[in-house]
Amino acid sequence: MAELHIIGQIIGATGFPQNSLFCKWGVHTGGAWRLLSGLKEGQTQVDMPQTGDMAYWSHPIDLHYTTKGLQGWPKLHLQVWHQDSFGRCQLYGYGYIHIPSSPGQHRLQCVTWRPLGSWQDQLAEMFVGGGPQLRSPDLIYSGADRYRLHTVGMGTVELELCVILRHFDRYGVES
Amino acid sequence: MTSNNPAVFLLMVNGQIEAADFPEYDDLYSPASLNSQITSKGRGSQSLVWNFPLDITFKSTRPQIVVSVYGPDTFGNDVARGYGAIHIPFTPGKHTKPIPMFVPESTSRLQTFTSWLMGRRPEFTDPKVVAQGEGRDVTRVRSQGFVTLQFNIVTKDMKKLGYETTSEHSAATGLTRTSQKL
Repeated sequence: MAELHIIGQIIGATGFPQNSLFCKWGVHTGGAWRLLSGLKEGQTQVDMPQTGDMAYWSHPIDLHYTTKGLQGWPKLHLQVWHQDSFGRCQLYGYGYIHIPSSPGQHRLQCVTWRPLGSWQDQLAEMFVGGGPQLRSPDLIYSGADRYRLHTVGMGTVELELCVILRHFDRYGVES
Repeated sequence: MTSNNPAVFLLMVNGQIEAADFPEYDDLYSPASLNSQITSKGRGSQSLVWNFPLDITFKSTRPQIVVSVYGPDTFGNDVARGYGAIHIPFTPGKHTKPIPMFVPESTSRLQTFTSWLMGRRPEFTDPKVVAQGEGRDVTRVRSQGFVTLQFNIVTKDMKKLGYETTSEHSAATGLTRTSQKL
C-alpha cells in the first residue's frame, strides 16, 4: 500500500482586519485513506504580534497516511478566528487547500472568506461583533451548492508543507 | 555477497543558527535544543549574530529543532524573549529558514504589570511544548522577532526504502518494479 507523509507547519496569517488570531484546522480525506499516526485536526495558539501585521503560529503538522486509491486526496480546511481582549471569539474566515501531490517542500497560501449577512446583520456586527457562521463546516471543502451564500474575502493563511510519498511508483503512479 | 536491505534511513544535518532579528531587544542568548538530545549555549553580541554550529545525524525520525531565546530586561533579570520550532527539512540541499519567535502572554493586565516589576515573566515550563500540536489551543502568545537558521541536508537510503522527497524522476536502480493498477 502506498504511504503519504505530510510534515510541516501552519506558519501564520496576514491580511485580516485585526491581529489577535487563532486557527482551527483539520484534514479531510476520502474513504480509501487511513491515518496511521498524527493528529488530523487541531487548534493553534492565539497570537498577538508585537511588530508587523502577520500573526505567527508555527503550528506543527505531522501526518502519516496509507492509501489504497487516489480518490479523496487529503484536503486541509481552516477556520480563522479572532479573540479580542475580553476573550470573545469571532469568526474571521474559512478556507481550504489541497495537500500538494508532488513530493518536496511547498510554500502555500490559503485564501479565506467569511459569510456576509443581510444589512441588518452587518450593522449589528459593527456594534456588538459576532456575525454569521456556517452551520456545518463541511461546506468549506465540499463542492456542494453555495448558490445562496453571500461572502466576502478575508486574509491569507500561509503554510509550509513537506510532502513525502512512499511506494507510489510501485503502483505506476507518477508524480 | 551482501544484500543491501536497509531498514532505516539517515538524515544528516549541518547548519548554523545564523542571526536573530528582534526589533526591540538588544542583547540575547539562546540555549538551542533539538527534541531528540543535545543542549548547548552560545552568547549573543550587540548585533545579534550567532553563527552557532549544528552538526547532527538522525535515524528514521521526524525531527524538529526548538530554539528558545532569553535576554535581560530593564532590571537585569533573565527573561524569555521567544520560543520557536521548525521541522528539519527532508529534501537534500541547502535551506535557509526564518523562524518566528513568540512568548507566552499574561492573562490579565495586573499580571503583566507585576511580572514586569518582579522580573518573572510567563515562560513555558518545557520548551518542547512549542514542537507539539496538542495543548496549544489555550495559550496566548505574542510574536516579536525571528531567528534565521541555515541547514544543509544529506539523506541516505531514503530512495531505497521507497520514499520520494523530490519530484524529479530518479534513474532506475537495479531493482525490478512491478506496476499494478490501483
